[in-house]
Amino acid sequence: MIGDIIGFIGGLAVTLKSTWREPVTAEYPESDKRLNLEERYMGFPALTWDGDVEEPYCTGCMVCIRECPTQCMTAEMKDNPLYPEESRRRKIVDTFEINLGRCIICGICVDVCSFDAIEMSHEHELSKYERNGNRVDLQSLISMGRSYQQKVGWEPKNPGKNRGTPQVEENSQSAINDAEVTDSRSGEPMEGDECPDL
Amino acid sequence: MQIHETENETDGSIDLMINMGPQHPSTHGVFRLVIWVDGERIIKSEPHIGYLHRGSEKICESEHYSQIVTLFDRMDYVGNLNSELAFCLATEKIMDVCVPERAEYIRVILCELNRVASHMLFYGVYGLDAGAMTPILYAFREREKIQNLFESVTGARMMHNYIRIGGVKENLPRDFQQRLHEVLEHLKRGIEECDALISKNEMFLARTKGVGAISGADAIDFGVTGPALRASGVVEDIRVTDPYSIYDRFDFNIPVGTYGDCWDRFYVRVEEMRESVKIIEQAARDLPEGDISAAVRRIVRPPKGEVFVRTESPRGDLAVFLVSDGTDTPYRVKVRAPSFANLQALEQMLQGAYLADAVLILGSIDLIMGEVDR
Amino acid sequence: MSLSEVFIILAKAVILMLSVSLVVLVLTYAERKALARIQQRMGPTRVGFKGILQPVADSLKLITKEDILPTWADRGVYWLAPIAVFVPAFLMWVTIPVTRQIVVENLDLGLFYITAVSVLSVLGLLMAGWGSASKWAVMGGLRAAGQLISYEIPFIMAILGVAMLAQSLDLTEIVAQQHSVSFALVQPLGLFIFLTSALAELGRTPFDIHHAESEVIGGPFVEYSGAHWSIFFLAEYMNTFTIAVLTVLLFLGGWSWPTMPFEGFLHATLSLIWLLIKTSAVLWLIFWIRGTYPRLRIDQLMAFGWKLLVPLSFLNIVITAIVLFYGLPLWVLTCLSGILLVGAVCIIRLNSSSSMERDTVRLVSAKDVRSKAKFSPLETSGGAE
Ligand code: SF4
Ligand code: SF4
Repeated sequence: MIGDIIGFIGGLAVTLKSTWREPVTAEYPESDKRLNLEERYMGFPALTWDGDVEEPYCTGCMVCIRECPTQCMTAEMKDNPLYPEESRRRKIVDTFEINLGRCIICGICVDVCSFDAIEMSHEHELSKYERNGNRVDLQSLISMGRSYQQKVGWEPKNPGKNRGTPQVEENSQSAINDAEVTDSRSGEPMEGDECPDL
Repeated sequence: MQIHETENETDGSIDLMINMGPQHPSTHGVFRLVIWVDGERIIKSEPHIGYLHRGSEKICESEHYSQIVTLFDRMDYVGNLNSELAFCLATEKIMDVCVPERAEYIRVILCELNRVASHMLFYGVYGLDAGAMTPILYAFREREKIQNLFESVTGARMMHNYIRIGGVKENLPRDFQQRLHEVLEHLKRGIEECDALISKNEMFLARTKGVGAISGADAIDFGVTGPALRASGVVEDIRVTDPYSIYDRFDFNIPVGTYGDCWDRFYVRVEEMRESVKIIEQAARDLPEGDISAAVRRIVRPPKGEVFVRTESPRGDLAVFLVSDGTDTPYRVKVRAPSFANLQALEQMLQGAYLADAVLILGSIDLIMGEVDR
Repeated sequence: MSLSEVFIILAKAVILMLSVSLVVLVLTYAERKALARIQQRMGPTRVGFKGILQPVADSLKLITKEDILPTWADRGVYWLAPIAVFVPAFLMWVTIPVTRQIVVENLDLGLFYITAVSVLSVLGLLMAGWGSASKWAVMGGLRAAGQLISYEIPFIMAILGVAMLAQSLDLTEIVAQQHSVSFALVQPLGLFIFLTSALAELGRTPFDIHHAESEVIGGPFVEYSGAHWSIFFLAEYMNTFTIAVLTVLLFLGGWSWPTMPFEGFLHATLSLIWLLIKTSAVLWLIFWIRGTYPRLRIDQLMAFGWKLLVPLSFLNIVITAIVLFYGLPLWVLTCLSGILLVGAVCIIRLNSSSSMERDTVRLVSAKDVRSKAKFSPLETSGGAE
């Protein structure tokens, strides 16, 4: 073709060809014209909500907090008032704060949590005018998490162990407590691998 | 009006000192190049780096091995998966972990896709440096497909944290093979189109041919690696000459230039995209079933010792030197960043070039300042 | 000159100013949309229906922005520069007709006037470069001076060819001469030279060297902001439109090829539309080139101008003169011109690959490299045979 021989004509042909194609861009802020998020999309982390017992999955065990590379989270735990009648969780999260401005969306907290209590939500539009405007507390984390759960139809990865509803006969392990930490990937209990206290 | 000059020693005329960067639009990040020009000709140049220094290597010493992967993501932020791979390979080597087959294939597929994406970015930005505004948009059109695929696999478009010590984070999504096929078909067309757009354009050839040439021997002396080295006619690709992971199983070509000028460096990368597509096709064909990760503890404590691993990142020889003292944080992590080494040859390449060439030469090295400064 | 005459001239000037500004607004929108189409984007979509009010929003933004004066700037020169660029761009329109009747003041020496005025904008760019007290701006200003002055020669020579054919410097007359055949068909080489040098005069891709963003960061305009910058912008787009219209008038037959039917008002309207259609085709070509080509380097630009375009433009005049002098039929000129044009393209093509071969990247099979037990990297012939 002539375009191969005379390059500046070939280039013109390429641009002319693409002039007749549909635009590939999307009009971002409009909800019906933006790009779709993939199912695995990792937005900011959010806490999941156990609808059966009306409490968060999180027990405040602090593992994610220790493992977070940017140390952007804090949490406190308390005794669960619903235990043991309505819930199997002996401890429950009291306060939880993530400075999403520092979060690097690495997903490590999700990997290490053995209670399915934290998930990478699809939330990613959190621009704020204040410098620390993205310090989110338990309430907003849970609401982020609930909308995420609703959107993707979330199910705990390890329901037998992590559901809060008391199921006496099925599970010998009657209470979820914070003593045992399992490797989220291999599922094996990890002895002697506790993180050093910060 | 005041202009700061320096005296030219040879003929007593005045050379103009110009700061190119750190706010110059075509320095690819925060990079400062001080040049002394005589009219449009460059007399002397002096690169200044360090504007993006975050102390990554030092931070590595206080993070767990699994957390360091996220730091490597942010060093070469265009070839993230390749950076992750380099560190994971180093840790696996020191711990003597055997990575499952499937994980190896997934890594290769994703890293090669990442290479195509990175070269696409280079292609687009290079077009922009040369003054053509369309290449960048075509490049992003192609890159977008890859990014979408990444998003479906790793959950992130840039900072994946997907390659983990001992394997990968998650299994591939169910429709991956089909989507990959679509992306590859799209890419093949896209690469041809990108190639036809400017590679053979007479103006582009005039701008890049014979500009910033560096001989193979010089390039080796400067420690230039990767496409920039191959452009100078040196057959050196770590995927072949010192294979890591499972690269020794694939059949592909190494594009090699002749003169080591800007056009060679540019076109080596265009060819490399085609070759990467070949590798991905082979890997996707052979992708076995099985585990995706070896049984590795979350907090790894490698035995005492040190290890050195070289990988071929999109920019060149990305090597990691890792010293472990047996605790859960490394004693020392040294990254041999290809951009940094390639940058050293800049002064030589700029010798006697025009001001306008400086932009092209700088672009042809394909710097990622995050990696240079770390 | 009576008061009413002065008033009429003023009114004409105001109308001209308004219509040209309107054209510029449309042009910026058109360029953005055209480039977006080329690049498979959407272009402006937000302000107004399909983004049609985007230029208005842009100009409002520019006017309300802060005007920054660099500390070391040469104040007078700095503030005057935009005017010095704008005024010539505007003055050119005094004698450019858009139909047989619609023209501010038809001069007998119209072409001469246009070429004379168009040179003036160099001064403004140089002033802007110097006044900004920025090295990049100075560099851009000097580049602009070199570029614009060099390309003035082929530009004028190409116009001269047309003037010879038409035996007139009056634009209306030139257009009228093309009623049977447009000069583009008679002088393809002239059109090529005119368009190329006009692109260089305008500083548009591939000759946007004096304000190259990736090299001199906007050149003379680097320090300007707000309203003053927008005046440069206005002048640039005005010049683009001027050149497109001139191309149509000089080479594509303006409104008279083919001649519009009817008389009077209807004729004028049809002529105007016909002219605008042709103009937008030329503009599309300019945008298309902008969307495709990289830019040249300053020395290559000069070499292209002095070594190729200037000799070609002289040849163009010589062949025109020969054909006219001996009274040969015009198709002889077309042939001669076409041959020279093809020759020029061949020279461009050969020039880019004469010093070095085109394909310098070869593929070395990984298998070959692996099969060599000890592979020395510098052995560059590895696997090439
Ligand atoms: S690891 Fe899970 S359960 Fe523990 S504090 Fe973090 S989110 Fe809550
Ligand atoms: S995603 Fe990473 S950075 Fe963000 S809170 Fe979780 S562990 Fe910390």
